[in-house]
Amino acid sequence: MTFTVNSSVFEGPLDLMLHLIKEKKLDLFALDVDVLIDQYIAFIHQMEQTHLEIASEFIVELATLTEYKSRKCLPRDESTLEAEEYQKETRDQLVNRLIEYQKFKEVSEALSARFEERAMQIAKPIDKEVLKLAEEENLNFLQADSYDLIKAMKRCLQRFHTVSNTEVKITQRELSIDQRTNQLRLIIEHLPEPFSFSDLTADCLEVHMVIVTFLAILDMLRLQELIFTIEDDEIWFRRSGYDGYDD
Amino acid sequence: MTDMTIEAILEGILFVFGDEGASLAQLSDAVSLPSETVRDILNDMKAVYQDEKRGFELAVFNDTYKFISKPFVRDYIQRILTLSKTRTLSQSALETLAIIAYKQPVTRIEIEEIRGVGCDMMLKKLMAQDLIREAGRAETAGRPILYEITDEFLDLFKLISLDELPHLPQYEETRLSDQLFE
Repeated sequence: MTFTVNSSVFEGPLDLMLHLIKEKKLDLFALDVDVLIDQYIAFIHQMEQTHLEIASEFIVELATLTEYKSRKCLPRDESTLEAEEYQKETRDQLVNRLIEYQKFKEVSEALSARFEERAMQIAKPIDKEVLKLAEEENLNFLQADSYDLIKAMKRCLQRFHTVSNTEVKITQRELSIDQRTNQLRLIIEHLPEPFSFSDLTADCLEVHMVIVTFLAILDMLRLQELIFTIEDDEIWFRRSGYDGYDD
Repeated sequence: MTDMTIEAILEGILFVFGDEGASLAQLSDAVSLPSETVRDILNDMKAVYQDEKRGFELAVFNDTYKFISKPFVRDYIQRILTLSKTRTLSQSALETLAIIAYKQPVTRIEIEEIRGVGCDMMLKKLMAQDLIREAGRAETAGRPILYEITDEFLDLFKLISLDELPHLPQYEETRLSDQLFE
């Protein structure tokens, strides 16, 4: 039993063909298409056997190569040049495509080296003070396309991250017990009796506000504006009818 | 202003502008000199920063100038800070970018013809990374979208302009013409 693992990943059929040409030491410029076709087909079969999913691009190329090969096998009408021309054309086309692809493959390696070097290099963000001034000024002539907008948004987010790393802002809504008492008075006017503690804290977004609400309720109980009862783990309130304003 | 003070001014501006970079137009406005003069001064400065005693260098792309640290510094920063992994590009991304850079403006079909594979998703990814952008539409059937590379691409590949791209290998012309006379 043979067990072969082919780990090379090909970017596409052309990449695969170039690999096969290199492996079989074929001359790209005097390409023996028949050998290449056989190798290509063999490789696709191997891919099938290893249950690799074969991308449609490979199949399309396979079809073209098979067509070429089968035409070659057919008996030729010697009186016309058509068959020969077809063969030469297909071959030249294939060679040209391979050469063209090879060029970009080669050049992308050179570019990759540049990219890797640049990736090691870091720039520092623009001074925040300057940015503030510059942005005020720039508002007067906003002329940009959607890509500038994307860029600007990206920069905004980057800046947001740099700023939030250095400055931590803790926001806390200041709400006094007196203010909350007044709010509660307005809220309970519209609430059907009896109302629960949950009803009164429904608009609270933070724990802080719940605490203030609780203290405000205690105050209102002290002023006898509310009467309460505890039932089923819930505190229930009723207006006492006494306005409590004249303490 | 002597050349020395102009260099100092330019250096100061570039320092403050940081990663946004300053354009040649802005810099020549600042020192009230013709842009060609300023370009020459900046070129001299660029050469000076190449000195191995300097930890940063002057990067130029599409007439935008900015300071970036030299590659070797990264290892030392890594000792004090954990830097995120450097950005990487896949082989298919590189190939697609190369084709666009050399052939721009170019349609998706033209790119796919060269690569032999579909690259719809790849183009979307590259656009999201701000490495390529749409450049209008070709006046052919279906008016397909044309793509071109961005300044961000030039920056990331250390290219002053597209003229700086390495030459495409031209081996086939000599070889094919040889064959013609066989």
